[in-house]
Amino acid sequence: MMNQALPLIRRTLVYGALSLAAFLSVFPFLWMVIGATNLSADITKGRVMPGSALWTNIQNFAAQVDLPLVLWNSTWVAVVGTALTLLVSSMAGYAFEMFQSKFRERLFGSLLLMLSIPFAALMIPLFVMMSKAGLMNSYTAIIAPGVASIFIIFYFRQATKAFPGELRDAARIDGLKEWQIFWYIYMPVMRPTYAAATIIVFMANWNAYLWPLIVLQTNDMKTITLVVSSLASAYVPDFGVVMVGAIVATLPVVIVFFVLQRRFVEGLLGSVK
Amino acid sequence: MSGVTLRGVRKSYGGLEVIKGVDLDIAPREFVVFVGPSGCGKSTLLRMIAGLEEISGGELQIGGTRMNEVDPSARGIAMVFQTYALYPHMTVRENMGFALRFAGLSKAEIDKQVMEAARVLELEPLLDRKPKALSGGQRQRVAIGRAIVRHPQVFLFDEPLSNLDAELRVHMRIEIARLHKKLNATIIYVTHDQVEAMTLADKIVVLRAGVVEQVGSPLTLYDDPDNLFVAGFIGSPKMNFLPAVVDAGGALRLPDHGDQILPALPASAKLSSGTQVTLGLRPEHFRPDGAAGLRLTVDLVEHLGGESFAYARHGEGGEVITVSTGDSRALESGQSFDARFDPSKALLFNAQGLRLR
Repeated sequence: MMNQALPLIRRTLVYGALSLAAFLSVFPFLWMVIGATNLSADITKGRVMPGSALWTNIQNFAAQVDLPLVLWNSTWVAVVGTALTLLVSSMAGYAFEMFQSKFRERLFGSLLLMLSIPFAALMIPLFVMMSKAGLMNSYTAIIAPGVASIFIIFYFRQATKAFPGELRDAARIDGLKEWQIFWYIYMPVMRPTYAAATIIVFMANWNAYLWPLIVLQTNDMKTITLVVSSLASAYVPDFGVVMVGAIVATLPVVIVFFVLQRRFVEGLLGSVK
Repeated sequence: MSGVTLRGVRKSYGGLEVIKGVDLDIAPREFVVFVGPSGCGKSTLLRMIAGLEEISGGELQIGGTRMNEVDPSARGIAMVFQTYALYPHMTVRENMGFALRFAGLSKAEIDKQVMEAARVLELEPLLDRKPKALSGGQRQRVAIGRAIVRHPQVFLFDEPLSNLDAELRVHMRIEIARLHKKLNATIIYVTHDQVEAMTLADKIVVLRAGVVEQVGSPLTLYDDPDNLFVAGFIGSPKMNFLPAVVDAGGALRLPDHGDQILPALPASAKLSSGTQVTLGLRPEHFRPDGAAGLRLTVDLVEHLGGESFAYARHGEGGEVITVSTGDSRALESGQSFDARFDPSKALLFNAQGLRLR
């Protein structure tokens, strides 16, 4: 009896813990969707049942927010930022792995060390830099500091270890220059790695809040995260409208994730098998 | 087709010299095989000829022109890699035409050349497949096709059959030999498989630790090796080495075999009494009608069907001696027998391992 009871108790505990974790992860999403259908007063009262105010909330949201402009701002920052980050950081990762140099490991080590510096410590110097460069209130100011992402460089260098050196040799014999090898061979072969990195970088750019809040000064430049946040910090916030804004802010990331999901898993497992 | 000349070619990584001054002449249309144990520098030397590794010293000429500083794509070479190195995101057709695209050929010209190579290698039905949909042998044929379309002066093969199974390896070996005849091309081929070396080569280059030990035709290397290393490396099962001492008049005494005396060989007759030498005997030098004999006890017998090999020793702890028994399957483990051989077939090496002729 003991032998059978023990696994049962263990299993119950494991499933219980997992269910709790799943609930904690899913509940905010659920609440966001349900909240968008309720009036603000109901939400503050803690109502978690679907309501009938979805259309009202959408109308109010549309009245308060210039959605096409805000989405365009966010899309520009996320798409251009992601493309540049992937290009520059993958080039750096490729170079770190492919080119031999005495200083390579020391340089790479010092880069990794910089990962430990919190953004809060960089914020003010970056602000001064952008201000002196006359880039305040521009998309360049949001995108530029993240283009050479140490984490993405590290990620690409690790992935490049699996890139067969013989492909590079074959391409050199076929007459390709180094940048052509990178463009015509490396990038297509490493597609899953790029897909996984796209999700990571796109999410980070789309969800970026603190840095855009610092450098963007006019309303016509603001991204969706800043707009949703400003809705929530109004004198009397309309939480129904905030929830609609949160859904709108979440959707693009969800779409990108689902489109690249399969590649994302491949990318994390390694592009080259 | 061009020949290849190496003069004092060296390669160092920092303070470590891995190719220590190679001199070699490869004639146009010659099939040359580099063999040697792992780490001997044979692949490095091939990559230096290809331009994938810098040459630290000496001179490389292809077709009489110095190539040390020339870009790999401009050396007139094409290379087939061990792992095939096909571009995984391209079809067979694109893989084969890729170099031509970068050489600035028109689409029609690329198509024509790809089709021509595909016909030679019977790849036509596979042209629109990607490499992952091909078998190992097919991938290797595509890799060879990719080399052919460039019409190189010299083909370089880096252990091209190592990733194939035994049956396919034999098949591809024959295909490569056939291709050499058909294309009339200069080929430099690296392998550690001596069957490939023996069957394909016009000339074998045996390398050890970055040094050329001997260059010659396969049978020259087999019958007339310059030193103990080549004698031991070429031939499978390998040559037996028996320590011997020169006696009066050049007769050879075998201390590990009950001080048995063998008659003088032409090479030993010139040596002074007491000189330590090594006697080399190939397994097939043992014949029932040989004039001399070693008393051996069989450890193990390997029957390969057409021929059998007995691994035997003289007494406990003696060196293992491999004896080919031809098609006779009479020997069994534990059995003692008289391994007869013809002493005049034996090769003699001095204490430094150099051949005494």
